[in-house]
Amino acid sequence: MKNITKYIATVLLSIGLVSSCSERQDFDQYDDISVTPTIEGSVLYVESPESIINQIVGVNFFSQNFNFDAFSEDFIAERVLDGIVTYEVENTTSKELDITVEFLDDGGTVLDTETFAIDPAPTAILRRDIAYGGISGRSIDIIRNTSSIRVSAQNRGDNSSVSSLPDPKIILRSSAKLRIRLK
Amino acid sequence: MRNLKIVLIALFWGYTTLYAQNKQLLYDFTEIPQALMVNPGMQTTYQWYAGIPALSGISFQAGSSGITVHDIFADDGIDINDKIRDRAIFGMKITDELSGTYQIELLSGGFRAKYKPTDFYSFGIYHEGDAIAYWPKDLAILAYEGNADMLGRRFNLSHLKTRGEVLNVFHFGVNRQMNDKLTLGGRAKIYSGITDFNSTSNDGYFVTNPGQNNLLANTLVADMQLRTSGIEGIRDVLNDDTVDDVSGIRKILTKRGFFGGDLGLGFDLGFSYHLNEQTVFTGSLIDVGFIYHSGDTRNFTLKGNATIEGMEVILPEALADPDADFWQNLVDDVQDLVPFEEDSNGYITFRPTKLYSSIRYNFGKQVQSRADCNCSYKVSAKRSSTIQYTNSVGGQLYAINRPRGPQMALSAFYLRRLGNVMALKTTYTIDKFSQTNIGLGFSLQAGPVNLYAMADNLLAYNNIADSHYASFQLGLNIISWGKN
Repeated sequence: MKNITKYIATVLLSIGLVSSCSERQDFDQYDDISVTPTIEGSVLYVESPESIINQIVGVNFFSQNFNFDAFSEDFIAERVLDGIVTYEVENTTSKELDITVEFLDDGGTVLDTETFAIDPAPTAILRRDIAYGGISGRSIDIIRNTSSIRVSAQNRGDNSSVSSLPDPKIILRSSAKLRIRLK
Repeated sequence: MRNLKIVLIALFWGYTTLYAQNKQLLYDFTEIPQALMVNPGMQTTYQWYAGIPALSGISFQAGSSGITVHDIFADDGIDINDKIRDRAIFGMKITDELSGTYQIELLSGGFRAKYKPTDFYSFGIYHEGDAIAYWPKDLAILAYEGNADMLGRRFNLSHLKTRGEVLNVFHFGVNRQMNDKLTLGGRAKIYSGITDFNSTSNDGYFVTNPGQNNLLANTLVADMQLRTSGIEGIRDVLNDDTVDDVSGIRKILTKRGFFGGDLGLGFDLGFSYHLNEQTVFTGSLIDVGFIYHSGDTRNFTLKGNATIEGMEVILPEALADPDADFWQNLVDDVQDLVPFEEDSNGYITFRPTKLYSSIRYNFGKQVQSRADCNCSYKVSAKRSSTIQYTNSVGGQLYAINRPRGPQMALSAFYLRRLGNVMALKTTYTIDKFSQTNIGLGFSLQAGPVNLYAMADNLLAYNNIADSHYASFQLGLNIISWGKN
């Protein structure tokens, strides 16, 4: 019985010795966790052949509002920190064109305007990055409140000439890269 | 916010400390009746035993092959975001397993057949919870980093692989000494499933590439499924303000745990074989069975593929409908191409089957077995199965069937008997989670009262927060070697 007591005491002591320690943990670090992924995707693609431009008499040959709820979805609007909207304009027509992109809120108020003046073909592709948020960017509230996009196009040339390039057209491409806070 | 913090830390702990259910300390510990639950073919000498209800068998195991709480929350001056990024998000592998289990015996007993004393019957009810999650690496990277500046990088959806269940098990086992060398055992089980979730057959990917028309193309190819059972009823109670949450949930769990939920069948098999007088070879197969989930099932699927390049407005076609909502059309197209659907179809899950095997060499002085005093079943007291030695040494193999395939562990053990009052067992276990797992357990027989306790991975207890694995088992029984 004495031996048994000794063994039990040894076992309990061993368990006690190894079970009594834990290095210092700081669970308040949880508050410092920052999860801010950056997501990107295309926004809007508009394409018009030169034949359409020639058919429409007048300077403004195209203007349309596009409902666009991606930015104003709660998940984005409440979490977006900053972002970059990238535009690319490609003109293979024979005309000088102005393209205007406007961000509008749900009341139709223009929040932001970006205008592209592009020469007749042959011209390089015009690419432009617009930053929102951060120190130097435009207000991030523009992104948060945008619920539609208006694209307008003006023909600064004539309505008869045709580009010598194959399948001449004006193309507007755009994408957005947004950093959002999950935690 | 504080509650959310606690929940997230608990989930994190859960994710990072869960483990498989290896009971290497209990296995073939013949002094403890609960060892029959991991080998129904174990050698038994008891005349009868009765577990103290709810106290006869309590076990909990948790572990991680990836990171520990210490890895993230250590007060070491390193930015926690660097630790999360380096050690969790990019440090863990998809094979890192996060799983765990607990068991509580509600009722347990056994008795030797009066007219066929080579047979020993055992029965009982136990409650069990079991869960596993593999580290969903690509999904974690996508959530942490996003998809920006990762052109062509496929985020693999199959990394999501998880399952878990809570159930009651009703069982009845027969253990028969076939001859001087061989003991066989089997156990029939009825599973009464309480809750279940599983999402183990996911496939597909998400990728961002340069677009054909627009600047970027986001492609989702998905074949994902989440199946649940027994969760909707609980959710209904939580959403119903007229029902008290605690009593409502208790009522549901009690009903479903006692044949009012999902039902299943299964069995265990086991044997012990004396290669010679001092060497014993054992093996068992536990939880070969299935559960059919029905009644309160809810399944979710996401299946299809879609590539989007934002809203596309191509003239002159786009002028045909001046009222067209291009954004809504895009959303509708994606939902049509990759529909998120729900149904309440029944489904079958298979239990995580476990395999044990061991070889044991007994040596030292012979210990007088308690059975020697009352061999009412007229079998020679000198038969191999009733002869016990002061020392036993051997090795054990353990394997469990998991969603990513079998997972194995190898143990060496030493068992020391101190008369027929106490037995100590220590194990050293190696597996993909730990190479320093030393466990210790004892069984104390004070008259008819049997008390056992065991704990695992003791070396890690000097810094429990840095432990990849912790477990304990304990129980209290009344055992008799006398008449029924």
